[in-house]
Amino acid sequence: MSRVRDRTEDFKEAVRVAALSHGYTEVSSTPAPPHPFSSAYGRKLNDPQFIALRCVAMQAQLAALMSSFIIRKLTPKSPFTNAAIKTLESIRELERFIVKHRRDYVDLHRTTEQERDNIEHEVGVFVKACKEQIDILKNRIHDEEKNGNAKTWLGTRDESSRLDLIAHQHGVVLILCERLHSVTAQFDRLRSMRFQDAINRAMPRKKIQKKPEIKPAEPSKSNLVLKSDVSKIGDQEVSTAPMRVQEQLLDDETRALQVELTSLLDAVQETETKMMEMSALNHLMSTHVLQQAQQIQYLYDQWDCGLCVSPVTSSALSQAVEATNNVERGNKELSQAIQRNSSSRTFLLLFFFVLTFSVLFLDWYSK
Amino acid sequence: MAALSLRQKQLDLIVRMLHLNQPPPPPGTAAEQEEEVYKILVLDSFCLSLLSPLLRVADLRKHGVTLFFPIDKPRQQVPDAPAVYFLRPTQANADRVAADAAAALYATFHLNFSSALPRPLLDRLASAAAAAGSAHRVARLADQYLDFVSLEDNLFSLAHPRSYVALNDPRAADADIEALVDAIALGLFCVVATLGTVPIIRCARGGPAEMVAAALDARLRDHLLAKPNLFTEASAASFQRPVLCLFDRNFELSVGIQHDWSYRPLVHDVLGLNLNKLKMPADKSGPAKTYDLDDSDAFWVANSWSPFPRVAEEIEAQLAKYKQDVDEVNQRTGGGKDGVEFDGADLIGNTKHLMNAVSSLPELTERKKMIDKHTNIATVLLGHIKERSLDAYCDCENDMLVKGTVDRNTLLGLLRGKGTKEDKLRLAVTYLLSFEAPPPSELEQVEAALRESEVDMSAFHYVKRIKSLNTQFSCSSSTASKSNIVDWAEKLLYGQSISAVTAGVKNLLSAGRQLALTRTVEALMEGKPNPEVDNYLLFDPRAPRPGSGQFKGPFREAIVFMIGGGNYMEYRSLMELAERSQPTKHVIYGATEVLNGVEFVEQLAELGQKAGLGGGSSNPPSSSQ
Repeated sequence: MSRVRDRTEDFKEAVRVAALSHGYTEVSSTPAPPHPFSSAYGRKLNDPQFIALRCVAMQAQLAALMSSFIIRKLTPKSPFTNAAIKTLESIRELERFIVKHRRDYVDLHRTTEQERDNIEHEVGVFVKACKEQIDILKNRIHDEEKNGNAKTWLGTRDESSRLDLIAHQHGVVLILCERLHSVTAQFDRLRSMRFQDAINRAMPRKKIQKKPEIKPAEPSKSNLVLKSDVSKIGDQEVSTAPMRVQEQLLDDETRALQVELTSLLDAVQETETKMMEMSALNHLMSTHVLQQAQQIQYLYDQWDCGLCVSPVTSSALSQAVEATNNVERGNKELSQAIQRNSSSRTFLLLFFFVLTFSVLFLDWYSK
Repeated sequence: MAALSLRQKQLDLIVRMLHLNQPPPPPGTAAEQEEEVYKILVLDSFCLSLLSPLLRVADLRKHGVTLFFPIDKPRQQVPDAPAVYFLRPTQANADRVAADAAAALYATFHLNFSSALPRPLLDRLASAAAAAGSAHRVARLADQYLDFVSLEDNLFSLAHPRSYVALNDPRAADADIEALVDAIALGLFCVVATLGTVPIIRCARGGPAEMVAAALDARLRDHLLAKPNLFTEASAASFQRPVLCLFDRNFELSVGIQHDWSYRPLVHDVLGLNLNKLKMPADKSGPAKTYDLDDSDAFWVANSWSPFPRVAEEIEAQLAKYKQDVDEVNQRTGGGKDGVEFDGADLIGNTKHLMNAVSSLPELTERKKMIDKHTNIATVLLGHIKERSLDAYCDCENDMLVKGTVDRNTLLGLLRGKGTKEDKLRLAVTYLLSFEAPPPSELEQVEAALRESEVDMSAFHYVKRIKSLNTQFSCSSSTASKSNIVDWAEKLLYGQSISAVTAGVKNLLSAGRQLALTRTVEALMEGKPNPEVDNYLLFDPRAPRPGSGQFKGPFREAIVFMIGGGNYMEYRSLMELAERSQPTKHVIYGATEVLNGVEFVEQLAELGQKAGLGGGSSNPPSSSQ
């Protein structure tokens, strides 16, 4: 995959050369270095011994520099990042779990209903745990934000430098949420396949319900095998037995049929209710995660827009900003109303004034 | 061999870069190795425009990028995240990176440059890093060779603005032209390196095409000397090598100017399509919106080459279908929501329908949004078309270029009537270009009409001058093709009205007219002796000595590059060529920039003014992309 030319080695070489030349230029310009002991040691700075010492120090620095390239010092990560990485690990585990049990879950004959329910239950618990972890991370961001805000009110201007960090943390949480959503969507697909099977199993039983002539001789196995077997056995029975025995047999069969059918009806109704619940749960699980992702995305976008516009204006939480906007607008409206009120009052006064004077004038005129 | 999809390859390389150049995990196993999952991406403006047609912000998040920043903005510290830088190798960028490293903004720096970083810049960066003691933060430095913008699977652009002006400027310094030629050659080198094959280069004699071809050949030769190089992986045998055809815009000017009637060129011309994004002007329905028009929009993909009336019909049809689907969904689920009755079949049916409805709701909303978007675009386009009577312009130009006839009255009527100044100028220039020697009286009338409408004449005069100087102009592409068909028709039919036959046959053979470009590319790809292309130069970087390459075809794949400004109409005719040849060939089209008619005419006007031919009101120089 070498479409890319890796220049890291060139860079290291260049750094080494630059460091060396940097060291030499320092050493050669000793005439007036700002040395703390210059007053005491004055002339000793030009001493060849001292220069040699400095050369050795330079070499040591150089060696340290080159080794730092080779041995990457792992900068300690913040607790937030560690927590985020752990959450990612757990989501990955969930994914692996689902993948491992996928065949067992989907295939009809490998597992019983009980085991499938177990798998679902475990997955549900896992998802809840992951969601909780994500919520903890989100709350942690908010707490840090609030602390940051509190500090600014107290006067320390630390807040502007944390904006990027906070946006980054929002992004991290959003990524986690989206990962979780995709994994749960995957699982939901498996679940819907299971529903389909359940529906299919329920449907042919209703067909048997509508045609009571076909006798269900065997206990419930797979559907198509059942139907074909039943029709074959029916044919055989009818053609060979004598009349009376046939009638007796038919009676027994009818009774057996009735019992079977009522039990089937109950089973079908139970399946129906279970399916309704499951489908409701189905939507609930993935939509919950989706909702959370959307919430986080909303917050993230707020940060993003704010960052794009200017780092200072986005400092307040979105709701606070909106509230202040509303209050400002309310103030404006009020002042306008007051103005209008006062202007109308003056107009009214003027009107009455003029009226009075006109009446007086008319009175004087008519005299 | 899989078709070369430039866009896909570029996308793969960028994704690999975003994953910190670690090899992607094999499919099926969970990705374990990545410890550093949450990265920050820092871009400069060119690389941002490079990424925007390829990835969306949500896609970035899928690859673990939490934030992306332009490099110029003041940024704050995120102490525990690795940062991926994707920049052009300029001095300013190198200084910024060194400053960031010194300020320890991020935990580790992974630097990626979009093309080769020259050695002096590398040294400068290294010395700055060593001086600040932050060199250990730089985890990796790589040259990505991705210095082009791929707009579609087979369309790329180098985003060199105003290259036509720079190359044809009579007062340009040699050094400037050489620098531009080198830059274009470097861009082409990146394209070729991303594709992973060494092409055979063919170009016409003389002009910028030859210079670029020579520069590219030299660069490829130098690169191939070092082993291993970027092309050692190329498993394609020599008969699979593509041909790189270089053309200069002066080869066929008329395509760059004319009005077209299909959806995509119309949108590009009238509304200005830029990096697959369309900015709608703010109007009474709301503030200015930006629409994405690319492969994810199914309607756009299906209809972008249809003529405009067809597009309007298609929108109507889609809207009707959508309404039908919505009604169906409502019907199916409306009744069952009233009560939960244990009624056997009904209940199961309703549950299934409910589930289907819920899952299809997002899809339906997407469709509605798409239909709304295209309805808006079509309405605005229609307004412009009515205002400027663009259909009349299209017809007139088509007549002139295809049939070689002009109705003087229509021409003069249009020049005096509706339409912006650019439209009239474009019509007049097309008139100039479609006739070898227009009768001087007509020419005078056209010029008088233009002057009446206060149109800036510099572009017109400029085209007139280069037409008289340059005999290599294929000013009437249609006459050549017409002559071929006329010969053919004469051989088969005697005494029939030739023009009627040619018109009918042309309609059968191709939807639009044959561009000279397409003809030439077809000839080059077939490799048969052809008087048009025989004197084209051939460069083969893999041949032992420069200029000794002999392999002339046939080729299955071609890369066509237009120096000075490409066009969607050329793109479309090349795509048609690729589809209709047997067996299907594969053509990639690229240009130094994608221009619409208005921008190109502005460049011509600027050249005219520089050559001192201006007359009438002066146009400000364009800043097209």
